[in-house]
Amino acid sequence: MNLLQRTACSFADSGEQLDPPIAPSVLMVDDAPAVDPPEKGPLGAHRDARELVRLVQCPCCSKPFTSPVTLPCGHSVCRDCLPSPQPRPNISYPNTPDRQLAIACPTPTCAAEHPTGECNIDVTLAKLMELIKAEVAKHNTAVGDNPVLLEEFLNYSSGPVGEKERGNRTAHQRRLHGGRLVSTFVMADMGELHHTSDVVYHPMGEDSEDLDSAVLERLQDVAHRELDCLVCYNMMLDPTTTACGHTFCRRCLTRVMDHSNICPCCRRDLHIPASLQDQPSNERLVKLLNRLCPDLVASRAAALSLEEQPAVDELDVPLFVCTLSLPSMPTFLHIFEPRYRLMMRRCLEGNKQFGMIMYNRSGALQGDLGASSFVEYGTLLEIVNYELLRDGRSFVETRGVSRFKILAHGMLDGYDVGRVERVEDLSLAQEERLEAEERLAAEATAQETRRINPDAQLSAELQVNMLSTQDLLVRTVSFIERMRAHSAPWLSARILHVYGGPPNDPALFPYWFASVLPIAEEEKYLLLKTNRVRERLKMVNNWISRIEGQRWTSGSSCSIL
Amino acid sequence: MSLPKRIIKETERLMADPVPGISAVPHEDNLRYFDVTIEGPSQSPYEKGIFQLELFLPDDYPMTPPKIRFLTKIYHPNIDRLGRICLDVLKSNWSPALQIRTILLSIQALLGAPNPDDPLANDVAQDWKKDEKGAIETARQWTQQYAK
Repeated sequence: MNLLQRTACSFADSGEQLDPPIAPSVLMVDDAPAVDPPEKGPLGAHRDARELVRLVQCPCCSKPFTSPVTLPCGHSVCRDCLPSPQPRPNISYPNTPDRQLAIACPTPTCAAEHPTGECNIDVTLAKLMELIKAEVAKHNTAVGDNPVLLEEFLNYSSGPVGEKERGNRTAHQRRLHGGRLVSTFVMADMGELHHTSDVVYHPMGEDSEDLDSAVLERLQDVAHRELDCLVCYNMMLDPTTTACGHTFCRRCLTRVMDHSNICPCCRRDLHIPASLQDQPSNERLVKLLNRLCPDLVASRAAALSLEEQPAVDELDVPLFVCTLSLPSMPTFLHIFEPRYRLMMRRCLEGNKQFGMIMYNRSGALQGDLGASSFVEYGTLLEIVNYELLRDGRSFVETRGVSRFKILAHGMLDGYDVGRVERVEDLSLAQEERLEAEERLAAEATAQETRRINPDAQLSAELQVNMLSTQDLLVRTVSFIERMRAHSAPWLSARILHVYGGPPNDPALFPYWFASVLPIAEEEKYLLLKTNRVRERLKMVNNWISRIEGQRWTSGSSCSIL
Repeated sequence: MSLPKRIIKETERLMADPVPGISAVPHEDNLRYFDVTIEGPSQSPYEKGIFQLELFLPDDYPMTPPKIRFLTKIYHPNIDRLGRICLDVLKSNWSPALQIRTILLSIQALLGAPNPDDPLANDVAQDWKKDEKGAIETARQWTQQYAK
């Protein structure tokens, strides 16, 4: 407001002499900067009539938009306000005719050049403008009277553009009809209201407050109906416009791009990265929505977050049915299916965690889940690295956080979600007690067997049960060392680089071992179900015994090790 | 899992403003499952027939197309004996901007314009190409017999 400029008024249309002019800043309740008003808060029809009209004024010709084009930078101008296209030298890719010519962006804040192929009519904004104009015309003829005297106050921003414009413009004054809102619109339509100018209203008849409210209500209704996204059928949230001029919620467009890269409306190719990260929102539609119906925008955003993130004790863990992952171990994923692209995006926005579960290939009943297409135990993974490819696929590096058991599950937008319970190991005290009990019992059985028949072979299970947990670990570690000495391919430097060396912690060792050992995943899965370190080490020893047994019996034909 | 707003709105609009010759009614216990009837278009062999179809909206609808199948037996080169329909917009040419209404209209249009060059029911398509008059007559008979 401090840059407000006052030039001589022209009293062309009115014979009346006015009182000494008062600065608009005094008159206006809402002392907002003219060019970039704050986004918050609804506008009052009467109080903010000027602000409302500015929402639909072209920044170039200052008239209400006619056939608006929304440029790749997110700003909108009338089609006729676009400068004539110029050839683009030194550009040969992509080599399509609609990219050979470009226009210099006419909006003051953007200095880019936009290829003509990306400057298409903004279908939504154009339709909305038609409806607004029709609505205003209807009121204009229906109401007839309700005169207002409007006085324009030129209000230029600083900078070279403002300086230049100031030179050839004078403020206007008009006596118009139809209340403040309609008359301001009409004044803009006559080309007599610069989009940065303010207006001082001098009421000439009865107060038009009710009339303005009625007009605004109609306009809000029109906008509300026209600004529905064609994908979700809700009011557009963060409207984003494609190069072909079609507008969708940013989220909807991203989801569309998970499936294909053509526009849902016109099927033209969308040459934008699937993440839409550099794609600006449609600035004008965002403003219109935020200032015409902020309540609806807020409730829509709230509803959406509720839709996507169910309450805590609901099905709140996304489940990726794919492979076996183990705690503290990395899992590498190539995400290409649309539903999992969506899941990954939501994960990244949230706590970066999701559950990994294996298909139930054998069809075995899964505890409380019964006949289920996936197994009931899984590993919670955390995304540590996410690399999005241009076409929307991604490479994801994850690390196992903890194990879980699925309590309930359902579907959300095509992928599985579940309520899970964390599976923890027993306390150390219990672990110790169980080890002691098991070894004592095994010793007793062994003595008993030897007493009956000193030459009897002890069963493998008994032999394992007699070993201390520490011995079990030592056995597996020495197996690893033997295998390494034999240059087993599954212990190659490349694999160890990915999974690291064998961990010292006996609780984690089996997970590492299972990650590098080439055996069936169904075998490894058993590690997830137990809550005892000793049990896991016994399983690992079991595998080792079987592998070594195989080696002895099949000699050199064992190829996997 | 709650029903997406889009499905609720589509259903409401289908009820409030039905397409002539087409009805789609959701099941009370599963609002993603619709019983559909389509009247055969006039001046086609399917005229006066009333065809029953089932329509299901998958979990990621509208990102993926609805699943639709004829329940009424029909003699048509693009519809096989299981009632499956060969229609591009139900497969690769699906777009989330399409909807139940437009898809059902496309199916009705397919009845009016069989395309034996892109067949799903090969035997029917062959008959259609060899002896179009005879095939049309068969289609008319089947319509009278089954599509009541």
